[in-house]
Amino acid sequence: MTLKNLRGRVAFIFEEDDFDVDQIVGVKNIKIQDVDELASYAMKTYDPDFAKSVMPGDLIVGGHNFGYGHPHYPPMKALRHLGISGVIAESFSPGYWRGEISMGFPQASCPGIRELVSRWDGIEVDWQEGVVRNLTRGTELPFEPLARADAQMLEAGGLVPYLKQTPAS
Amino acid sequence: MGYTITEKILARAAGRDAVKAGDEIMAKPDFVLAYDFPGYTDVYFRQMKEEFGIDRVAEPERFGIFIDHMVPVATPKEEELHQGTRAWCAENGVELFERRGIGHQVAAEVGYATPGAFVVHFDGHISQLGTFGTLGIGMRRNVLEAFVREKVSIRVPHTVRVNLHGRLQPGVMARDVFHHMVRVLGPASCRFQVLELGGDGLEHLTTEGIQSITCLAMFTGALTAIVNPDKQRLDYALPRARKKLEPVYSDPDAEYTAVHDIDLSNLEPIVVVPPTPANTRNLSEYVGLHVQNGYLGSCASGRLEDMEIAARILKGRQVKSGFMLNVIPTSQEIMAEAARRGYVSTLVEAGAFVSSSSCDYCFGRIATMTEGQRAVSTGTLNVKGRMGSPDSEIYLCNAATVAASAIEGRIADPRKYL
Repeated sequence: MTLKNLRGRVAFIFEEDDFDVDQIVGVKNIKIQDVDELASYAMKTYDPDFAKSVMPGDLIVGGHNFGYGHPHYPPMKALRHLGISGVIAESFSPGYWRGEISMGFPQASCPGIRELVSRWDGIEVDWQEGVVRNLTRGTELPFEPLARADAQMLEAGGLVPYLKQTPAS
Repeated sequence: MGYTITEKILARAAGRDAVKAGDEIMAKPDFVLAYDFPGYTDVYFRQMKEEFGIDRVAEPERFGIFIDHMVPVATPKEEELHQGTRAWCAENGVELFERRGIGHQVAAEVGYATPGAFVVHFDGHISQLGTFGTLGIGMRRNVLEAFVREKVSIRVPHTVRVNLHGRLQPGVMARDVFHHMVRVLGPASCRFQVLELGGDGLEHLTTEGIQSITCLAMFTGALTAIVNPDKQRLDYALPRARKKLEPVYSDPDAEYTAVHDIDLSNLEPIVVVPPTPANTRNLSEYVGLHVQNGYLGSCASGRLEDMEIAARILKGRQVKSGFMLNVIPTSQEIMAEAARRGYVSTLVEAGAFVSSSSCDYCFGRIATMTEGQRAVSTGTLNVKGRMGSPDSEIYLCNAATVAASAIEGRIADPRKYL
């Protein structure tokens, strides 16, 4: 796999299971097209200083069934705009997972992740080894292997380039 | 070890003798369905041309497009979207179903619910085709793959089997069965898997009721739901089927990741409280709560049995002043039959607003609620802002409960009216 490892800090931990990602920007902002404006609402209710504290490459940690409900695309667009490079969750809801992988947004399903990390720990997702490392504590956990098509889609950078690059059967 | 119905359908679609859960395959969908929606079909149509150089889809008979959202249109921009969809369908020789009803229901009526077929859509509620032994999977944007090439990449899903037993009591409906399943199994219980329904209890549910259950499968985390089709459902589906296929069934020794048993006979009516479809409660805990809006419709519930029970409850009674009851049959075919049977006149005389089939009530484009209002609804979802202001609330329940609550202007137990 040629997928580049993710390396950054844990910018936030969503403790809540079955988390509805629309809450990241708030439902009333979901239709905002301008990504700067959208990003200005991101995480406001969780941490008003989020946008100031986050650095490019940082990651988000989620609970079980992350993305449950009726996920829209704008919340994660807003987080990417702020520099978030991926989500590691205990597990994901399939609709959300598919949608974001098709955007080329790296995610890993890693049971036990909330025990492994605290906020602002440095972590690394090693795609080759199949582990998430806590660089601050020196510990690690395996994550669930990506389906072949998902891995190819991430490597390609999303659905459209994937469909252009990979053979049809 | 035998095979599940899902494995059998996908094996045929992949052109293989057999596949097993976990296998990564390329499978050719028998049908590719979509409704037009801004950011979805209009984008696919453009991407097909601009990114992939496809001016016409191969095998247009495999495709079906529905215009069921923004019906009727309210702005010139909405009409422009539909116009683009009509033009694309005409150019491509693809069949278009406009103003026929909610696509997931119409799909069954017009023969895409071919038992044994593999169907893809971007919207997950296509799972209700599983009622007829059809594997219908919502792939979100990835359905573009099915628009630009013959096959889609898919990992063959594992299956959770849920056996239903016994018979529902009056006033308890198929919707309650589904919401009860979310309560006891959990909102992630079938994550990335297929929810397969079985058991003797199915015989006592109507085809429509099973459609209600399979429609909502995604709220258990399932990719879809499926049922081994019995005679009643084959009698509906086979004469309409668009393709000659042999129906397939799970083997008795098929492998399941879990098997659950649910007794229908002691279920109570249920209410799912905001802000998530995981919040299942007994209706009795919420009886008396003031509500201003009632919606009976959607791809999940809005079929004849829903109209019938609402008409029975409202016959000779009146909707409470200030309460807005919207009754939207799921399809025009259902509307016509409900009219023939007199349900429509009964509901209208009781004060219901009855309107032609549309998806718009379900996602708040029509009958939008303002801050502080509450609805009882047979729609699919109760997340914040689904039917208007993020500060309005949606209580999901069965059609009988909507009708009873309309009489009182408060959440009411339908059983006292039956």
